[in-house]
This record gives sequence, structure tokens and C-alpha cells, in this order.
Amino acid sequence: MRLLELRCERFRNLDEVTLTPSPGATVAVGHNGAGKTNLLEALYYLATLKPLRASKLSELVRHGEASAKVTGRFLLSGAERELQVEIFEGSRAAYVDGKRAPSFDDYFGGVSVVAFTPDDLMVVKGSPEGRRAFLDRAVFNRFPAFLAESRAYAKALKSRNRLLKDQAPAAHLVAWDETLAKTGARLWTRRRALMGELQARAVEAFQRIGRTESGASFSYAPAKVELDFAAASEEALAQALQAALAARALRDLERGHTSVGPHVDDLELGLGGQSARAFASQGQARAIVLAWKVAEIENLHAASGVLPLLLLDDVSSELDPDRNAFLMAYLHDSGAQTLLTTTDPSLVKRAAGPQTVWLSVAGGKVTKGLP
Amino acid sequence: MTPDALNRLVAQLSKLPGIGEKTAQRLAFHVLRSPPEYARNLSQALLEVVDKVRLCPRCFSLTDGPTDQPCGFCTDTRRDDKVLCVVEGIADELAIERTREFRGRYHVLHGVLSPLEGVGPDQLRIRELLVRLESGAIDEVIVATNPDVEGEATALYLVRLLRPMGIKVTRLAQGIPMGGDLEYADQATLARALAARRDLEPRVRVR
Ligand SMILES: Nc1ncnc2c1ncn2[C@@H]1O[C@H](COP(=O)(O)OP(=O)(O)OP(=O)(O)O)[C@@H](O)[C@H]1O
Ligand SMILES: [Mg+2]
Ligand SMILES: [Zn+2]
Repeated sequence: MRLLELRCERFRNLDEVTLTPSPGATVAVGHNGAGKTNLLEALYYLATLKPLRASKLSELVRHGEASAKVTGRFLLSGAERELQVEIFEGSRAAYVDGKRAPSFDDYFGGVSVVAFTPDDLMVVKGSPEGRRAFLDRAVFNRFPAFLAESRAYAKALKSRNRLLKDQAPAAHLVAWDETLAKTGARLWTRRRALMGELQARAVEAFQRIGRTESGASFSYAPAKVELDFAAASEEALAQALQAALAARALRDLERGHTSVGPHVDDLELGLGGQSARAFASQGQARAIVLAWKVAEIENLHAASGVLPLLLLDDVSSELDPDRNAFLMAYLHDSGAQTLLTTTDPSLVKRAAGPQTVWLSVAGGKVTKGLP
Repeated sequence: MTPDALNRLVAQLSKLPGIGEKTAQRLAFHVLRSPPEYARNLSQALLEVVDKVRLCPRCFSLTDGPTDQPCGFCTDTRRDDKVLCVVEGIADELAIERTREFRGRYHVLHGVLSPLEGVGPDQLRIRELLVRLESGAIDEVIVATNPDVEGEATALYLVRLLRPMGIKVTRLAQGIPMGGDLEYADQATLARALAARRDLEPRVRVR
């Protein structure tokens, strides 16, 4: 997979621009507030239809404009395809080769990206919610159907919560328990499958990054549910969740929200057998995230035979010199197509090669060459 | 100045869904240019649809038969009384009917459970369904709601309600569309079809 051309129109603060990225590294350089992250976000949104930063869709449209558009020409298994997404009135329309994409699968077929942002580096010490979102981005990258599946779960969850608040009769509530359990079990199996593939790779990547005696661990299991998570079938998971929902029905009715399910689980990150959230240093915490990202890239490569497109937003300034050097060397050696942003070009020099395309970003204007 | 009568027609037409002021004007001019019978036929058809078409008191699909009389689906003696197909709306009923495969009776719910839109069991034709089932003539209920979250919840609600009555409740199978290419099926459909796979052992055919 390769991005051949990227075009942004009325996207955030960016002036209309058409770019030809490098098959290797493309580096966007500029001062704070110039529009570097906006450029990266345009590509991320095009490839995932998920905003990179938690925001309303309308925030992606340039102030004073009615709509924004991002278009990319990709080389996918030897064929050129154009993906386009338009955002207007708070919703979006996705097109493949100029035609409205009939389903997510048509749209995503073959395109995969892994983004790495300073927010990711905060994940270890941050909230469970942040870790779930972090995990789910990886699940989605691996299994695009997860987008529709997690939306179905979110809708079932919202519906059940509404019934709890309305003190709905038990017969009605139970029907939604069962729906929630089924959609929730699907999310559990997806997360379990991703973890099964990723765990060993991430542990190994953490060793490669080095500088820490103890090993890292990555694990995920549903909270507040009695079951053998590793072995249970999807049906057994649904039954377990339904039983847990029933057992908590009274408490949930009292509080007006659902207290068990994929939306309350946590991704457990460990260091030397202890909770990384509680005990890892800042540098160690960042190395854990770095290892996860490397594992994600390698796993996607192993699963589909294609290297994902890598988007790194100003990560180098947040890593200590050794770990940054590891990352830059890794990017260089991986051969993946990469878009990096930085305020300081010297930080990413080691990822660059003769093919590197340098871009300057200033006041929303993107031009070729170093500033 | 356009005549008031024309303005009134444009105003009425532009109340239709998907019709803006401009299109309404175009339609109005079209009516004006056509032979007068066209306008008479159109207005008569409009009146008849509101005067004559009602919901069937038994299955709640549409009918233009005499008041209080069940519809054609309900009175057709060639149809099977023992099987009842429950659908969300009239459009779904027509879709199933077009297959010509189903020869039982219908029941139209007129919606699905949707807490977010304030639709509960009382807003659907569920009580009327139960009354029909109490007659005892029905052996099997096929729940043909859509395979989305709300359709699924509605089906599960009905299953819990009907099974204790000793009625066989089935759900439409979900899987690969016929004539559809495996490679073009969306992942969720493919996953469901895989989960609901069946073996190819020769089976005794029950007739
Ligand atoms: N919808 C929008 N319309 C116009 N301008 C916007 C919009 N959304 C964001 N901006 C502007 O974009 C700028 C931020 O751009 P961006 O986040 O890409 O900066 P950056 O180059 O990544 O900076 P840093 O180095 O600090 O991360 C801000 O000045 C912000 O006001
Ligand atoms: Mg930035
Ligand atoms: Zn009828």
C-alpha cells in the first residue's frame, strides 16, 4: 500500500494543498500552531473515518466554511484507487473512485494506518478510558469491521442506559440486556484476538528498545465478570455478560447506567510484574507505548503482508534521545511509508534518507522544502 | 403576479418530503400543461387513498376493503393460518411477499423498540399480536425484523414473550446474499454466516 497523492480542501487551518509524499519518510516542519498536526489529521481521518483528536466533526471544517474535503490517491495491491471524504453539516460522506462507498469494507479495503501521537505517550499513566480508546484503535486497524461493531454496542449501551433511567419494565430491559450481551461479546472477542496477536510481539519489542532490566506485560480481560476469558466461545461470553447484567440490574437501575461490559474494561500494562500505571517512570511508560506501536506495525504486516502507513505527530520531542534514536532507526529500516511532524528537523534526521520529502508548514500553508 | 390557485398548489406540493420550492413549481406547471383529466385523476387518487386505505384490523397492513373487514392477506383462503411472519413495516412485508416463498399470514408492528426514540412495546402492535396468538391457530412465528441493534432487541423481546406460550419462534437466517459473491460480502455478514454455518450431511427431508 502506498499513498501517491494527498489533497486537502478547507480542512482546519490548511490552505488548499496537493502533496506528493515520499515512498519513505515525509517530514512536515513548522512552528507551534502552524498546522502540522492538522495535515497529519487530514490523512488519518481519510484513512480511518475517525477523528484523531476527540472532537466534533464540524471542528475539522475550516472556520467560516461549510464543508471540508480530503482526497487521497493510493496504490493498493497494484491498483490505483482514490479515496475521498467530505465533511459537511456535522456528518461525512465517503467515496471510492468518485462513487459513494456502499459500506465501510469497500472503503477501507486495503488501507491501514498506525498513528502515534504525544497523547498516546500519556496512555500508561492516564485514565482507563484513554487506554480503552488506545486499544480500540489498534483493534480497528487490524479488524476494520470493528468500527460498525463498536457502534452497534454503543447504541445498545445507550439504549439500555436510557431504559435504566426511565425505570422501564423488566421484560423490556431484559431484551436489551441480551442485545447488549451479544454486541458486547463481539467486542470482547475482537479485543481478545488482537491481544492474542500483539502480546508476544510487544513484549519482545520492549526488550529490543532496551534500557530497562525488567520486562513489560500487556494484558486484557473483562472486569467484573466470572469466566475463563481465554477459552470461552463468543456465545459463552455473551451468556456471561448477560448473567452479569442481570446480577447488577438492581444496582444499575439505582445508578441509571450500566456497570459491566466492554465499556468499563481496562488494558493492563505492567512492568517487572507490577502495574506500570502506578510504578513505571515517565521514560519507561513511554517505552511501553513505543513497544506497543512497533508491535502493532509488525503485526499488521504479518497479518496482511502490507506495511501500514505510519503517522508520527511530534513524538520525537517527547522521547529521550536513546528511545528516539531507536524509533528513528526502526522507521528507517522498516521501509514503511511515514509522515512525521516536528518543530525541530534535527530530531528526526535518522529516519530520513535520500528519498525523504521535507515540507514546511507556516500559518496553514504547506510548501515543499525545509524552511 | 402568479394566480393564487397556482400558489396554493405549489405550497401544498412543497410540503412533500424531498420536494423543495423549485421542484414544487416544476410539478405544478407540469400539472397545468397536462390535459385536464390528469389533474382530475390525480386529485381523485389522492382523495381515495385517504378515504379508502386503512390499516387492517387484524394484521395492520394496508387495505382498501370495507371498514372493519380484514385485508386480502388475512382473508386469502389459500394462505397458511399456522405460520405468522412479524415485520417492522409495510415495506418489509412487501419485500417478503415479492419472494413468493412465504404463504403464511403477516403481522406488522409499525416500528421497532427504540429507547432512544421513546418507542417501547406499548407503541408497537404487540398487544394485538398477543390477542391473535391466543386464538391458538398459530404454530410458528417468524420474526423478520431487521438485523440491526433495534431489530435484534425487538426480536429478542418477542422471543421471550412468545416462547412461554408454547409457540415456535424463529428468526430469519442472516448470511451471504444469494448470487452475492463471497468476496463482496461485508465482514459482519460474513462473520455471522460463518457462525451460522450448517453441515452438508444428507438430511431427511421433512415435508
Ligand atoms: N477548523 C479550523 N479552522 C481554522 N483554523 C483551525 C481550525 N482548527 C484548528 N485551527 C487552527 O490550527 C492551528 C493548530 O494547528 P496544528 O494543531 O496543526 O498545529 P501544529 O503545527 O501541530 O502545532 P504544534 O507544534 O504546537 O503541535 C491553531 O492555530 C488552530 O487555531
Ligand atoms: Mg501539533
Ligand atoms: Zn390483514
